[in-house]
Amino acid sequence: MRFWADRPLAIKGMVFIAIPLAILFGALASLYLSSTAEERAEADVRRAFAIQRDTYQVHALLSQAAAGVRGYALTGEERFLEPYAVAERELPPTMRRLDEAIEDPGVRREYVTLVGLVDAKRAGLGGIVRVSRGGADLESSRAALESELSANRDVLERLGNQVDAIQRREAVLLDQRRDRVDDVRSRFLLLTAVSALLGLLGSIAAVYLFSTGIVRRVRVLEGNAERLARGEKLDELPDEADEIGRLAQRLGRASALLRAREKDLSESEERFRLVVDRVRDYGIFALDTEGKVATWNLGAERIKGWQAAEILGRHFSSFYPPETRGFLPQQMIERAILDGSAEDEGWRVRRDGTRFWANVVITALRDGEGTLRGFAKVTRDMSERRRAEEDLRTAREEAIAASRAKTAFLSRTSHELRTPMNAILGFGQLLEIDEQDFAPHHGSAVTQIMKAGRHLLSLINDLLDISSIEAGANELTIESISLHELLAEAHSIGTPLVEQAGLAFTLDLPEREVVVSADKRRALQVVLNFIGNSAKYNRAGEIVRLSGRVAEGVAIVEVADDGPGIDPADVPRLFTAFDRLGEQKRSATEGTGLGLALSRSLVESMNGKIGYDPASTGQGGRGALFWFSLPLAVDATATASAQAPKEVQEE
Amino acid sequence: MTTSLVTQADITSRRILAIDDEEANVLLLRSVLEREGYTDIHCLTDPTRAMKAYIDLEPDIVLLDLMMPEVDGFELLEAFSHHDRPEEFRPVLVLTADTTLQARRRALSLGAKDFVAKPFDVIEVGLRIANLLETRILYQRLISR
Repeated sequence: MRFWADRPLAIKGMVFIAIPLAILFGALASLYLSSTAEERAEADVRRAFAIQRDTYQVHALLSQAAAGVRGYALTGEERFLEPYAVAERELPPTMRRLDEAIEDPGVRREYVTLVGLVDAKRAGLGGIVRVSRGGADLESSRAALESELSANRDVLERLGNQVDAIQRREAVLLDQRRDRVDDVRSRFLLLTAVSALLGLLGSIAAVYLFSTGIVRRVRVLEGNAERLARGEKLDELPDEADEIGRLAQRLGRASALLRAREKDLSESEERFRLVVDRVRDYGIFALDTEGKVATWNLGAERIKGWQAAEILGRHFSSFYPPETRGFLPQQMIERAILDGSAEDEGWRVRRDGTRFWANVVITALRDGEGTLRGFAKVTRDMSERRRAEEDLRTAREEAIAASRAKTAFLSRTSHELRTPMNAILGFGQLLEIDEQDFAPHHGSAVTQIMKAGRHLLSLINDLLDISSIEAGANELTIESISLHELLAEAHSIGTPLVEQAGLAFTLDLPEREVVVSADKRRALQVVLNFIGNSAKYNRAGEIVRLSGRVAEGVAIVEVADDGPGIDPADVPRLFTAFDRLGEQKRSATEGTGLGLALSRSLVESMNGKIGYDPASTGQGGRGALFWFSLPLAVDATATASAQAPKEVQEE
Repeated sequence: MTTSLVTQADITSRRILAIDDEEANVLLLRSVLEREGYTDIHCLTDPTRAMKAYIDLEPDIVLLDLMMPEVDGFELLEAFSHHDRPEEFRPVLVLTADTTLQARRRALSLGAKDFVAKPFDVIEVGLRIANLLETRILYQRLISR
């Protein structure tokens, strides 16, 4: 059965057609065979009739011949010999026919006897004729004739008996043959009926086999294809190797693949849904094409206050405040349809009517054919950020206002402090000019007033400088400047100051041109502050060294001296305001104590660093080295920037 | 100090109007100017009266403070330039303790011819006044020719 099931459909079809055909052919062959048998039987019957007829003929011919011969013998008239001539003529062919026709061995035995009797009769009749023709001795011949005649009568009688025997025998045979013909005929009818029946049965069987073996399976396959399309589980089909079986296997595999993909898809869908559901910070939901809410997530619930069951099916304009509800939702939808998505930031309302500042993105969802299927809406509660932004804005405005106030205060303070200084120093200067008119001690008093006044002025200037830098009110003009030019200028300006103190002043420039990014006037101010300090704290004969170099990607300016240096304990406070070190020890020197603090503010505002390196120069741990760094200019050339017109700057 | 074209007497005879709300500063300016030999010096400490004085006195130079109550120096600068004919060269020397860049730019853009920060050097101020007057004298000669 398994072997059969695995045969290809072509062979199965051939077998189904061949079975009824073979049965039909068998029936036809048997019909043919039975028809020849009937013919034979009928021929036998016809032959029996012929034998009967011929035997009668033999008997009749001889009887008539005998009667004729008797008549001739009695009368001598020739006309009585006519039947005898007929018999002599007709008998041989009749006997030949009989010889050919007789098949039955019993009849043939009778026939052989008949042949003997016929020959004897013919001889007897011939003898009578001859005797009658002689006529001479009538007496003798008459006697002979009489005996001959009687002998002939006996022969004829026996012949008649013999013919009767043959007739009877043949009659029996005829009956037998007739029976056989009937038998054959009924068998033929039976065969015809049986073969018709078999043909019918064979056809029914073939159709039945076809329908059960193929049609049924095709139907199952059809059903399976339908189920495959619907994504249901397939009906089991026997695992057969013919075309249908293979088709079933393919279908099964397709179904398995499809199910695996469906599983993947549903898993990823599930994951995606879980992700969307669990997002708390974003309201993510879908709208149908009319703008009614179709899905809802945790974030949307949290932001808008609606439960999924309450909001599903409602139009999304429910989220808009009354003043925009009439037009904005429709605008958003139209923009999303036109541009693919629409973004908006504005007020929205929660379920309880409270408002929140939201960022909303509506995206049109289209299927593969581009048909609009709905919208995805992502809402973010920006209230916090908006509040933060507002706070930031307020803070910035406050800072700006504070900065303006500070600038105004500085401007005011500058004015208020300088105005009295103007009168003091101005009149003082006038007194100085007229010093020769005073008594000597008055003159020195004027000098002291002027000295103290100038000191106070520089103190005020430094203080205002630091304050304005720290307030950010100070505008720096950062540009690319040549380090060489900067140091050369500082050297040139600083030289009188240093030489006045009896010191030597050296300048050491880097070999290559260095371009730094700085405010030239401010940088110069810092270098001069360093030089001024060295000039103040060194004794005559010592050397002040100004140098510039490049290290680790920045330009460094150094001012070194052989002076007393800085007490290590004081170094940490070196660049702090109002920390003029060891003031009591060096009361002879003048300064505000703000110079280094101001320098630090200036350098830092130019993105540089400032520092002190103790005992790096001079002998025996003496000496001080002050340095500051400036960032290198990115690309500008020194000459171009150095010659650029300088902007007017405040002092 | 002066060229042969303009004599010292030409300069010191010119009329000077000094406006400053601080009495001390006005006195200082007067002392400085008198030392230099100027004879026609007018001083004001009430800025509200400045415009009237400017019109009435027709000074050859104005020494102006910027930060003053009620009417400040910027307003006066504007008023002066509106009053003067375009071809007139009547210099204003601003003397102020407000040394901010903004103040300096604003004053110069409003027509101030020079700007000196307080506290000033008395000699420097004297020289600047003389220079500005010399320029005015030369200008006037040029116009009248």
